[in-house]
Amino acid sequence: MKNVLIKTTINGKQVELDVRPNMTLLDFLRDEMGLTGTKRGCEVGECGACTVLLNGQAVNSCLILVPQIDGQEILTVEGLAQGEKLHPLQESFLDHDAVHCGFCTPGMLISAKALLDHTPDPSEEETRVAISGNLCRCSGYQQIVDAIRETKHVGES
Amino acid sequence: MKPFDYHSPRSLPEACLLLAELGAEAKILAGGTDVLVEMRKPGSYSSKAVVDITRISSLKGIGESGDAILIGPLTTHAEIFHSRIVEQYAPLLKAAVAGIGSPQIRNRGTVGGNLMNAAACADTVPPLLALNATIKLLSSKGERSIALSDFFIKPYATVAQRDEILVEIRFPKLPANARSSFVKLGRRNALSIARLSVAAILVKSDAGVITDARIVTGAAFPKWQRVLEAEKVLIGQKPSRELFDAAGKKVSEALISFTGRRWSTEYKEPVIAVLVRRSLEACQ
Repeated sequence: MKNVLIKTTINGKQVELDVRPNMTLLDFLRDEMGLTGTKRGCEVGECGACTVLLNGQAVNSCLILVPQIDGQEILTVEGLAQGEKLHPLQESFLDHDAVHCGFCTPGMLISAKALLDHTPDPSEEETRVAISGNLCRCSGYQQIVDAIRETKHVGES
Repeated sequence: MKPFDYHSPRSLPEACLLLAELGAEAKILAGGTDVLVEMRKPGSYSSKAVVDITRISSLKGIGESGDAILIGPLTTHAEIFHSRIVEQYAPLLKAAVAGIGSPQIRNRGTVGGNLMNAAACADTVPPLLALNATIKLLSSKGERSIALSDFFIKPYATVAQRDEILVEIRFPKLPANARSSFVKLGRRNALSIARLSVAAILVKSDAGVITDARIVTGAAFPKWQRVLEAEKVLIGQKPSRELFDAAGKKVSEALISFTGRRWSTEYKEPVIAVLVRRSLEACQ
């Protein structure tokens, strides 16, 4: 097995690395980049805990091989806050008590960002569809939906 | 995941050459939503090479050519969902992809992958069969065009050879007076695997008489096909609840004549009839 050289942008930083091809983007982010905010859940694309943005689109990082991100842009939950300043979505999740155990939260935040980037004022239905690929086992969906819909000042990254 | 060599050809000739060289050792990767799950299952076959075709841009996109719609196999479900062409000329395909997986899956999964993987529950198959789609397969030995109805052997088995790449999906535009629908039963809204699904197309004359009817069920028959017996019931008639019930009953009968009575028949027999009726009503 030959390693593959990839050039990619992760949370705004350019990265150039020699990678094993038989690694998922999820494993790469967590084990190689130390970005453990992206969670490992079902690993078959059902739970959404590993959701990241790939060129602005929500995807399951467990279903992408790391060489496939060559030349692409990735955003993980770590890329939401600007330094100490939380992203408005994160503030809204706190305000609405939308975090229970917290395991689904990174994936929920990323799916929510994908929604708000295109639909700044989503309906309840649009919001529920946007997070339909993210499971919350604490069943805090109502607070999460409210938090997303009442997020303020989104539009910038 | 077991080790493998990774290839990402940038053109079709390059991809064909690679697949010819690698032979049975290669696995084609498109959206990855099925293949990457398969590759990590314990005891799964190991491929010594993965040929990632997602960099071949000619395999993406939706276009028109005269009376035909052409869909590149790497077009994602999300792209199909947002396509004005599909909305106008094949709304049942839009309805089918809307319910595939989740937003994350729809952003990655491709229509070509859905066909080549050939799961019994593949949601794009019933609408594409109802649309009388044909597909093109390409390898280093040449290109061939076949009707989608001749493509599937049984669930997870098709007539495609290991070195063949699906390069085009094509179907005639539905006429302006056609109405179509796709209905699906699953166990959860998102990410549900179709337990049963029905794609239907109805065309009526100005006098309200049905002149063309196409019905395809998903996850019901051991092989996908239009249910001609049920379609015949509809042709030449005016739509009514009784007529649609009769067509549903024909589909039920056809299903049982194929599968025999099994543990699931008690459920599927009445439910498929109702689904067919609902799908036809949705074509009004």
